[in-house]
Amino acid sequence: MVALIPFPLLLGLVLLSHGARALWPIPRSLTTGSSAVKLSKTFAIHVDIAHPPQDLLDAVARSTSRLQTDKFQRLVLGGVSQDITAVHTAHEIKSLILALTASAPVRNLSEEATMAINSRSESYTLSLPTHQAQAILTANSTLGLFRGLATFEQLWYDLDGTKYLLNGPLEIADEPAFPYRGFSFDTSRNFYPVSDILRTIDAMSMVKLSILYWHIIDSQSFPLEVSELPYLSVKGAYSTNEVYSEQDVQQIVAYANARGIDVIMELDSPGHTTAISYGYPQHIACANKSPWATYASEPPAGQLRIASNATIQFAKTLFGSVSSKLHGTMTSSGGDEVNLPCWAEDKETQADLARTNITIEQALDSFIGEVQGVLKKNGKVPFIKSDMVLTHNVTVTNDTVVVVWQKSADAPAVASRNLRLIHQPSDYFYLDCGAGEWLGADILGNSWCDPFKTWQRAYSFDPLANLTEPQQHLVLGGQMPIWSEQTDPENLDPIVWPRLASGAEVFWTGATLPDGSPRLGPNTTSGTQVLARLHELRFRLVDRGVRAIALQPKWCVLRPGDCDL
Amino acid sequence: MRQHIALIALLGGIPVALGIWPIPRSLETGTSALKLAPDFTIELNVHNPPADLSAAVSRSANYIKTDKLEQLVVGRGASNSSAVSRAPQLKSLTLSLEPGSTVHSIMDEAIKEIGTRSEEYKLDVPASGESATLTANSTLGLLRGLTTFEQLWYDLSGDTYTIQAPISVIDTPAYPFRGFMLDTARNFFNVSDIKRTLDAMSWVKISQFHWHVVDSQSFPLQIPGFMEVSQKGAYSSSMVYTPEDVQDIVQYAGERGIDVMVEIDIPGHTSVFSESHPDFVACAEASPWATFASEPPAGQLRFASATVKNFTAGLLTEVAKMFPSSIMSTGGDELNTECYAQDPETQATLKETGQDLQQALSVFMQAAQGALQTQGKTPAVWEEMVLDNNVTLSNDTVVLVWISSMDAAAVAAKNFRIVHAPSDYFYLDCGAGEWVGDDPEANSWCDPFKTWQKSYTFDPLANLTEAQTSLVLGGEQLLWTEQSSPANLDPIVWPRAASSAEVFWTGATLPGGEPRNGTEALPRLHDVAFRMAQRGIRAIPLQPLWCALRPGKCNVDS
Repeated sequence: MVALIPFPLLLGLVLLSHGARALWPIPRSLTTGSSAVKLSKTFAIHVDIAHPPQDLLDAVARSTSRLQTDKFQRLVLGGVSQDITAVHTAHEIKSLILALTASAPVRNLSEEATMAINSRSESYTLSLPTHQAQAILTANSTLGLFRGLATFEQLWYDLDGTKYLLNGPLEIADEPAFPYRGFSFDTSRNFYPVSDILRTIDAMSMVKLSILYWHIIDSQSFPLEVSELPYLSVKGAYSTNEVYSEQDVQQIVAYANARGIDVIMELDSPGHTTAISYGYPQHIACANKSPWATYASEPPAGQLRIASNATIQFAKTLFGSVSSKLHGTMTSSGGDEVNLPCWAEDKETQADLARTNITIEQALDSFIGEVQGVLKKNGKVPFIKSDMVLTHNVTVTNDTVVVVWQKSADAPAVASRNLRLIHQPSDYFYLDCGAGEWLGADILGNSWCDPFKTWQRAYSFDPLANLTEPQQHLVLGGQMPIWSEQTDPENLDPIVWPRLASGAEVFWTGATLPDGSPRLGPNTTSGTQVLARLHELRFRLVDRGVRAIALQPKWCVLRPGDCDL
Repeated sequence: MRQHIALIALLGGIPVALGIWPIPRSLETGTSALKLAPDFTIELNVHNPPADLSAAVSRSANYIKTDKLEQLVVGRGASNSSAVSRAPQLKSLTLSLEPGSTVHSIMDEAIKEIGTRSEEYKLDVPASGESATLTANSTLGLLRGLTTFEQLWYDLSGDTYTIQAPISVIDTPAYPFRGFMLDTARNFFNVSDIKRTLDAMSWVKISQFHWHVVDSQSFPLQIPGFMEVSQKGAYSSSMVYTPEDVQDIVQYAGERGIDVMVEIDIPGHTSVFSESHPDFVACAEASPWATFASEPPAGQLRFASATVKNFTAGLLTEVAKMFPSSIMSTGGDELNTECYAQDPETQATLKETGQDLQQALSVFMQAAQGALQTQGKTPAVWEEMVLDNNVTLSNDTVVLVWISSMDAAAVAAKNFRIVHAPSDYFYLDCGAGEWVGDDPEANSWCDPFKTWQKSYTFDPLANLTEAQTSLVLGGEQLLWTEQSSPANLDPIVWPRAASSAEVFWTGATLPGGEPRNGTEALPRLHDVAFRMAQRGIRAIPLQPLWCALRPGKCNVDS
C-alpha cells in the first residue's frame, strides 16, 4: 500500500492562483511548490523493469511522443509570454524513471486492466523534484505506471516547444476510490466507425476511465458480427459497411486494454432486440408492431420470445459465442424496459406459456437464469439492468452487478438485495438528455429525461448517497452513457466531451474531494478551481483532436471565478 | 394554378423522397426515372456571365458529381435499380435569364436593399432526357435554382438519378430576410468556420448572415483607425478578423447569395472597450456582475459623454465602410441602468447637460444611426431600443425581436419593420445547461432546447393585423457562443437552422395554403442533414438511421 500524504498539504493546491490546475481527475494526494520546472531537450522516459511488457513500452512511447507534440498553452490572462523568464531559469528534468515496487509481478498492462474488477491495482506515486534531474514514477503494477504516465502528461504546458510547469516540486500519491469508472456507448441507434471508438478510447484513457461498456446492439440495428449466427449482422446491420467484424471487435478490445480500459459488451435482452428479427424472425415477438408505444419504449417494437425453447437455445448460442471470444471477466445481458403487452399479445409466447403452465414473469426468470448460466460457464461476471431486479424481481446470481439507470434513488433498493451495483442514473449522467424530442410528429415534445445534464450536475453526484456503511462496498463505481438516437460520428465528441470527465473524477475521488470537502454544492468553495481544471482538460482534448465543447466564453476561462454566479 | 402533386402525395403518407429544402412555392413531380448522362453539363446561356455565376455553376456541377447521397429508404434505393438502368439520360441543364434582364454579379444582386432583390426562378426537368432549363430574372435567382437542382439527385451504384421526373418548379421566397446569426465574441471562430457555415447556409437558401462580431468578452474585429480596440480587446493577436478577412468573408457570402449584416452591439455589451479606452466604459468588470449586466463581464459605453458619442459614431462609420451591405445593426439589447446610476462620470455628465439618461440615450442613438445613414445603411436594432427605451429612431429602422415572439406585435404597433429572432423559437444555444460557474443545479435561461420541430412551427404573422404584415422582413435562427466554439459549431447549428430557412421561404403556410407540417417535413430534413454530412458539414442525426429510412415509423403516434 502506498503511503498517502496527509490531507492538509493538499490545501496548497486549492489556494494556488495558477499552475496546478492541470490534473484531471485530481489525485488523492498532491503536494506542489512554486518553482518552474521544464523538460530537458533530451528528456527521456526510462523503464527500470527487467523484461518490461511490450504494451507498457508502447504506452511509454506514446507518452514520449505526446510530450513533444502537445501544444497546449497555459490558460492565463495576458498570455504565456509572462512565463518566458521563469521557463528560461527553470529546473531541468532530464528523465522520468518508471519502476515497479520490489515484490510487484511484471504483467502486461492489458492483463492488469482486465483482471477481476476488485483485484486491480491502479495506485502509483510520482515524484518530480527540483533538486535532481530525475522524476520517479513507482507503482505496484504496470497498470499503475500507466495511470501515472497519464498524470505526468497533464503536468506540462507548452511554450515554443518547451514543456514546463510552475508548481514544482510535485509529490503525488494516487489511487482510485472506485475500480469501475466507465463510459457506456450505444453503437446501434446510429453507427460509429472503428476510428471513432478508438479516438474515444484515447480520450477516456486521458481521464483514467477504466471501462468501456459497449451497448453494441439494440432494436434499431445489429452491427455485431457473430459467426455462429451470421444473419444477425448480415440482415440486421444498417448496411454491410456498418458492421463490427469479429476482427474489429478484437482490435477495439486490444486497443482499449492497452490503454488501461476493460471492455464490457452489453447484448441487451430480452427487450431491445427487434433487429434480430431481420435475420431470425422466429425468435422475435411483436416485431415492428404498431402502435409502437403499446409494445416498446421506443420504435421499433420487438422482444425475444423468452418462453420458447428454441429462442432460449438461440440466446444461449448468442451469449456463448460472443462471451467466449471476449477478453475480460464481465459481460452484460442488459434487461431494461421489457414490455409485457408485447408478450401478452404474442400467440407463440402465449402458446409456450400455456404448454409449460408458467407465467411470463416465471419465463423471464428462467430465461435470465439460462443466460447467466452461459456467462458463468464462460468465466464472466454477469451485469444486468436495474429494472430486471427492481421491477421484475428476477433471480440473479449472487455475483451479478446491477446497472442502476432509471434514477439515482434506486441504488439503495438494489443494495438492500446485497447485489453489487454501478451507478448510471439518468437524472445525473445521461449525456443525451435535453436535446429535444427525436420522435416525429411530437412538435412541442422535449427529451424524456430533460433537462440537459451539465458537467456541474454530473459532478455533484454522491456515489454513497442513501447507502448504509455496510452497503458501501457494493458500489463498484459508475458510468455516464451516450444513447445515440440523436448522436452519430458528426457530434460524438461535442456531446460527450468534456462532460464525461465529470464521471471520471467522481469515481476516481469518491464521495468527496481528497480533502474531505464536497465536490460541488451550495456550501462549497471548490467549484471555481474545479471548473478551471476542467477548462484545461477541455483545451488539452481539443489540442489532441477531440472536439470537446467550450464550457464558457474564453473571457471566463482566463479569469477563474469571475463568471461564477 | 398548378397542382402541388408532390405535396399531396407526401401529405397522403406515401413515402416520396424528394429532398428539396426549402420546399418550393410551386412544385410538380412525376414518377419516371431519369439519370444524368456521364457527360452531363450545365450550360450557361448568359452573355458575358459574371465570374461568380460561372463559379456557382462549377460548384453545382461538382456537388452533383460528389454528393453520392443514397436515397433514405430501406435498401437505400436498390429497388430502383432496374428503373434507373432503363432511365433516359439527362445531358444538360441550360441556364438563362429572362429577356430584358440585366446581368449583374450574384453578389451585387444579393446585397441589394432588402425588398428589392429578385430570387425567383423557374426550373423544368423533362422526363424524356431533353435538356433541363433554369430561368430567372437575375443571377441570384439562377443561383437559387441551381441549389434546388442539386437537391433532386440520388446516387445508386454510381448512377445519379431521380425517380420523380418530370419535375417542374416555380419558386420565389415569401420573405427576403432569411438569416442566421453567429456570435464570434464569446468564443472565436476562424474564417474557415465562417465560410463553411456560409456554404451550408446557401444550400438552404439563407440570404442573410447576421454577424454579431463583437461583445463584452472580446473584440475580434480590426477596424482601420481604431486598431487599438481589437489590439487590446481580442482574445489574442491571432483571434482577429483583419479588414482582408472581412472582405474575404463578405465576398464569399455574396457569391453564395448571402448579404452580411454586421452588428456592433452598443451601448451595452461593450465591456471590452475598457481594455483600450478605460475612460469610455462605465462599471467595467464591476462586481457582482449580476447587478450591472445580464452576464459577465459588466461594462457599458458612457453614452452620455460627447467624447464617447463622437468616438462611437466614428467607429461605426469605419465599420460601415468595411461592409457593402445596405443594412447594419447597432444592437442595443440588455442595457443595464444600475451601471449608470452608480457611475459618477455618467451622473456628472447628465447633471452638466441637464439631461436624463433616456434623453442622453436618444442623442447617442441619433448620432449612431446618423453615422450609418451617412454611409447609406439602413439601421437595425434589438427590440429594447423600441420597446423599453424612449429614444427617437429613424423611421426605416429594422427591429430584431428576440426576447419573446409575443413582442413582435408591440414593435409592429410602432410601425417599425421586423426581423423575427425570438428566443422561444429560434435560439440554438438554449437547453445546454447553465454555463455560469458554481451553479450546479441550474439550466440555461431559455430552456428547453429549441428543437427543429418547435422552430418549424413558427408563424411569422402571428398576432399581427393584416395591415402590419408588410412590416415583416423575415427572421433568423441564432447561435450565442458561450458554450460553442469551432469544436461544436456544425452540430449545434445543423440541420436545425434549416427550419427557419423554410419558414421564411414558404411563409405562414405551405405553398398550397395548408399549415406547415413537421411530419411531412422530417424526411426532407433528414435529406438535408445527410447531404450536408456528405459535403463535410457535421450535421447531427435527428433520429436513429432506422427511423430515417422509414418515414413516419418513428412518429410519436405511429
